This record gives sequence, C-alpha cells and structure tokens, in this order.
Amino acid sequence: MANENEFTGADILLKALKDQEVDTIFGYPGGAVLPIYDAIFGQNFLKHVLVRQEAGAVHAAEGYARSSGKVGVLLVTSGPGVTNVVTGLTDALMDSIPIVCISGQVPSHLIGTDAFQECDTTGITRPCTKHNYLVKDVSKLSETIHEAFKIASSGRPGPVLIDIPKDVQFAKSKYISKKDISFREHRIKAGSKNVDKNFVEELVNHIKKSERPIFYVGGGCLNSGHEASQELIKLVNKTNIPITTTLHGLGCFPGENKSSLGMLGMHGNYEANLAMNKCDLMINVGARFDDRVTGRLDAFSPDSIKFHIDIDQSSINKNVKVNFHTNTDIALTLKEINSFIDSNSIDFGDKDYNNWWGQINEWRKKECLHYEQGDEVIKPQHAISRLYELTKQKDTFVTTEVGQHQMWAAQYYKFSKPNRWITSGGLGTMGFGMPAAVGAQMANPDSLVIDIAGEASFLMNIQEIATAVQYKLPIKIFILNNEYMGMVRQWQELLHGSRYSESYVDALPDFKKLAESFNAVGVRAKNISELDDTINEMISIDRPVIADIWVDKKENCFPMIPSGAAHHEMLLSKYDKENPENQEKGKVLV
Amino acid sequence: MSSTSVYPTPINAFKQSKRSVLSVIVDNEPGILARIVGLFSGRGYNIEALNVTVVDVKKNLSRITIETLGEEKVISQIIAQLEKLVPVHSATNLANLSESYEAEICLIKIEFENDEQDQKILNFADIYRSRTVQKRQNIVVYEISGTSERINKFLDDLDTIGGIKVELVRSGPIGLGI
Ligand SMILES: Cc1ncc(C[n+]2csc(CCOP(=O)(O)OP(=O)(O)O)c2C)c(N)n1
Ligand SMILES: [Mg+2]
Repeated sequence: MANENEFTGADILLKALKDQEVDTIFGYPGGAVLPIYDAIFGQNFLKHVLVRQEAGAVHAAEGYARSSGKVGVLLVTSGPGVTNVVTGLTDALMDSIPIVCISGQVPSHLIGTDAFQECDTTGITRPCTKHNYLVKDVSKLSETIHEAFKIASSGRPGPVLIDIPKDVQFAKSKYISKKDISFREHRIKAGSKNVDKNFVEELVNHIKKSERPIFYVGGGCLNSGHEASQELIKLVNKTNIPITTTLHGLGCFPGENKSSLGMLGMHGNYEANLAMNKCDLMINVGARFDDRVTGRLDAFSPDSIKFHIDIDQSSINKNVKVNFHTNTDIALTLKEINSFIDSNSIDFGDKDYNNWWGQINEWRKKECLHYEQGDEVIKPQHAISRLYELTKQKDTFVTTEVGQHQMWAAQYYKFSKPNRWITSGGLGTMGFGMPAAVGAQMANPDSLVIDIAGEASFLMNIQEIATAVQYKLPIKIFILNNEYMGMVRQWQELLHGSRYSESYVDALPDFKKLAESFNAVGVRAKNISELDDTINEMISIDRPVIADIWVDKKENCFPMIPSGAAHHEMLLSKYDKENPENQEKGKVLV
Repeated sequence: MSSTSVYPTPINAFKQSKRSVLSVIVDNEPGILARIVGLFSGRGYNIEALNVTVVDVKKNLSRITIETLGEEKVISQIIAQLEKLVPVHSATNLANLSESYEAEICLIKIEFENDEQDQKILNFADIYRSRTVQKRQNIVVYEISGTSERINKFLDDLDTIGGIKVELVRSGPIGLGI
C-alpha cells in the first residue's frame, strides 16, 4: 500500500511552502488544521509564530510582506479562525499586499451540514481576496498552492486563501514541485512586459512642453520593487519635476529630497495639494485617485493633462479620466522613460521650471506643518518629530495604527527608502500596527521596528504583546496617548458641533503596568522635559517596549481637506472655517 | 399623476445609461458564477439578464452572457473588473465589436377561453414564426426565438388580446461576435 512517492495533504502543504521559500508562518491552531500542525511539529525549515488572535496573524503576515517584499503566509482553523481574518484579508486586498492564507475546513463529507466550526469560507472571503480555493481533491493541492503564491505576488498583488478540508490534509497524493507546474497565463494576469513606446514618447514630449508638471506617486511604485524607486529618483533628478506621494507612496522617493512636496490628500501638505490643483501635467505613477487624495472630484486638478502608469487596468479611468495610460509594470516603464531621455540626449537642464518652483516655494512659506510646542504639554507633532530625529540614523521600520497619530506619523516622520512605512491606508484598520510590527520584526530581526499607535487602536489587538514577548521581538509601541479617539473627536468638532459622542476613551489601562504584566517593558513621558529621554530609553531596551506618551488631548490634525472639499479649499488650522455649503455636502461622506 | 421623491434624483446618473450585452469566457470551475454575480452586486452594477453554459467541454470553458445597464464609463469599469477575476479569459462588450449577433429564446404557455382568442393568438404566432411545442384544448405552448426586442414585441402584441392567461420563461439574450 505505502507508496513512498505519495504524501499526505499536510505534508504536501509543507513541501510546497518549502519550495516557495517560505520560512515563517503566522498561525493559530484548531480542530480543522491539526494534521497540518502535526506536520509542522516534525520539521525545522519553517518557523511558526503563534499569535494570540487570528487577526494578529493576518496583520503580521501583512507587515512581514510589506517589510520584506516577500509573500506573507498564515494558517488558521475553520469557522471562527477564518472569520477572524476577514478584516485583515480585506485590508490586504485594499492595500495590494501579497499574502497567502491557509485555512482548515471540516471534512468534505460534512461540508454543507452546519457541522461544528463549519462556515462557508470561500463564500465569506470571495469579495475580500484576490482569489480563493476550496481544495476537494488532494491531487490538486500542490498546483493550487503554487498558483496561489503566483497570483498573490503577480500583477497587482493581493491576498489569496486556500481552504483545505481536514480529510484532504490526511489523504495522500504525489507532490508536484513548483518548477514542474506550468501556469496558465490568463489566470496569473501578470500584466504586459512590453513597455508602450508611444506612451513613453508622448510623456517625454509633454514633459518638454509643460510649464507646471508634477509626479503623483502611489503604492504601486512600492509594489513594483526597489528598482522602480531607483528609476523614479533618476527621472526626478533629471527633470527637476516636483513630486508628491500618497500615504502608501511614502518612501518611494526620499522624503527629505528637495524635489519632494511630501504627502498629498486629506491631511497632505498645502504645497502638494495646491500643486496638484494648479499643475498642467500630472504623471500618476501607481496611484489610484483615491477619494482621500482627490477631494471633490469635479474640482480635481482641472487644467492638467494626465498620464497614468498602473499595472491594474481597473484603476485606470475609474475615478478620474486620464489622457494617456499604460498598463505595464512601473519599474519597466520608468526605466524605458529614462533610457529614452538618455538615448535621445534630451536635456531638461534649461527648463528647470523656475516659475513653477517659485510658485511652489511661495506655497511652502505657509509652513503648513508648523506647530507651537510650549514648555509643558507634549504636542503630538513634536513627539513624532523627536522620534524621527532620534531614530533616523538607525535601520528603522515604522508601522502605525489608524487615527490622528497615523497622519502625524505620515507628516512628520520622513522615509528615505521604500518598504519602511507600513500602514493601513485603504481600509483604515485600527489594530493593524502592532501585529504588523510583529511581522516586520520577524522579517527584519536586527532592525528597529516601531508601531506609532493611538491608545484606542492599540487596545484592539493588544493581546499580540504576548506574541512579541514569546518570540523575543523587541518591537516598540509608541503610543500618542490623547485619551480620545482623536480622529473621531476631530470630525465631531468640525462637523458635529463639538458633541463628543462616545469618543472619549475612558477606563484606560495603566500602559506601564500593562507592559510589565506581559513581561514587556513600560516607559512613560508626561511632559516635554521627559520626551527625549523616554524615546532614548525605549530605543535602548532590547525587548518589547510600550512607551506611553501623554500628548495634548485637544490637538487636531492639519492641514485638512474636509470631505467634499477641493484641494484648494484646505483648512490650515482650527481658525480656518469651512465653507458651510461644502460642510453640509461633506457631512454625508466619510 | 406625478409624485415627488423625498430623495433628489441625480438625473445625470441615468441619462447615459444604456443597455450593453457582455460576453465573458471563463474556466468552468466552482464558484465562478458567484464571483461574477458578487462582483456586480458588490459594486452596485445591474444585471438585467444572465446566461451561463459550458461551451467547450475539452477545455472546460463556459460562456457567460450578461445584459447590463450603465453609462459607457461604468461598462468599461465592469469589463476591467471582470477581467481581473482569475478564471476569466476575456470579457467583451458586444457593442464594441464591428459585427455581433444576439438571440434569446422564450417558452410561452397561453391559456385562452374562446375561438376568437385562439385565432388571434395563432395569427401572432404565425407572424412571429413561433414554433408550437404543445397544443391542447385551451392551452398552447410556443417557442419563439430572436432578439430580445422581437420577443418583447410579440409579448406586447399578445397583450392586446384580452382575457388570456400567459406564463413564460426567457433565456435572456445570448450573443456572439463574428
Ligand atoms: C476597526 C476600526 N473601527 C473604527 C474605526 C474608525 N476610527 C478611525 S480613527 C478612530 C480613532 C482612533 O483613536 P486612537 O487610536 O486613539 O488614535 P488617535 O486618533 O487618537 O490618534 C476610529 C474609531 C476604524 N478606523 N477602524
Ligand atoms: Mg487617541
């Protein structure tokens, strides 16, 4: 009977993971995945990280993927195990993060009987994955896993789920290795490898003609790899065109470079948003015209010719109609643009866009990120600025939760390299940052990994501190503690007559004691005189640290383009008042 | 009589809505129909009619025909979204082809009471060249095919005959580019 060329489904899974060079998996056991856990027990190539809730596993896999450029992998049981990862899968889908989720399912013959811990996993996760599978036949398992990895990481990356019934984990079949699988092209959708020469030529011609060009760069540039970022830097240096990035584009271009206008959008820089509004040529590199970026659509950059490079065809002409587009990989396209410029000896030297830069420098004089730090209460902006100054010489990765602290982090922390900034943009998932830091630290054991957190968000996945302690991951949780769901409070102040309904975070734990109870370390800064020392202490401790930074409770995040307003209608401080008509319209938006 | 809605109707949203027939070739695998239907409901697109059948047993391919409403921009977005689904080989708006044909099939059961009605029914059935599937004393079943518009006309004509009872099923349009 025993055929030595045959393996159980569980063993096939492990062989496939090895073949895919997976060395880390985040997971949580349960009845429907016990055969897989049994296989994990007897091997040593794969490090299993036991999270404390499945949501932690999926965000950790996202953090791992974002910080390493590899596919993140997680393993969860059927029923509640898998429903707990729905938020994270949606998050990864929105933010184009390659992850593969393996879930256990009740045995095939029980599917459809409302068995214990049965749920319609493929049904529930269909709209929140790039693709998903229910594997009913063990002989299909190898190729399914290899296809899943290929799909997760090709074209516009995203989450893929493989649901494996328990009997299939026990059943035996041959293993087919990755190199023996021929992928069907229509299923992989990797995008064209041929750069559109016309697009390139057209773009260069428009750059030559334009007076007020701008690069608008998004997360697609990140996903295209470090080469994309290198080519982008070359192109910007050559042309002297200003560049602004989305929340996810931060780091694709060095934030301290003189051509960088910083982030654009709802809490973006004044100069970045006005430049978008007034430009005559917009070069969109892997951004998706998200509503957080465009503001009111009918007033979005009315006078510009728009070029769009995006691997995802459905992002083109979805929200904003563009004049020229190409559906090709960004690194390849930018490389072609650079070599076209070089080989035709096109010189932008005399162009320099002096008037345009003059105008931009006028806008910069507004100093939209200016704040007044007094000598007692810590301003949250200042806390981030100091964190940046005291960590910028180190090899640092920053994750965040969601809220004001996230926007302040985006505004005041500067990134010089891609993949260093890991945040939940599209879905805005509170509770993302801490498990994402666990993942980032697993992928980068020697780096400094900091989760810039709000106290409310941190409470959403606080259990993962135990994971960090167990695996000796010295992540730092830097809490801007304002005792409020600050971003909610800000909207209530601006749009709902300062009626702070349910946005005060009462009954907060003592974060220092909490850290200690987990066998982590707690530090605290109550006022400005303690800030630098606290940050330095936090960095110096080679263990997980929770830093409780008490900040001004009433501070709001500016600049702000209120929902429904246009780029040129941004508020710079609480003294700026919104046009009441916009306000009524904006209220119904999110 | 006109009534006013409490909700203002965005007139422009409907102005350019037009009917399109999309032809989608997919791998015939579990869940593919759910993916497509889910895409439409999740993104707020309309499905006016839907037809799915395997068309190539060897290659395991199905052809799905979807009739939908939307302005051009929305239709292009639907096509782009469909083409992102892993099992989808291609999605085509038949209206964008230089030549394409459409057909629909309808089975219709008519109960009548008297000869005069019978005569009128027979007359229309003849004009529209429908095939008699079954005829009993006061019941007749026809099969009629052609464009959806032609079937609509046939049904409108039948409607002019008072006192008959009609029950029917339609396949929804299917279409093919040439
Ligand atoms: C899971 C989830 N629930 C609700 C929200 C809505 N929301 C956005 S920001 C925010 C408040 C966050 O508070 P905190 O973490 O303290 O950050 P702060 O804004 O105070 O810096 C809330 C409730 C969300 N983004 N995610
Ligand atoms: Mg807070």
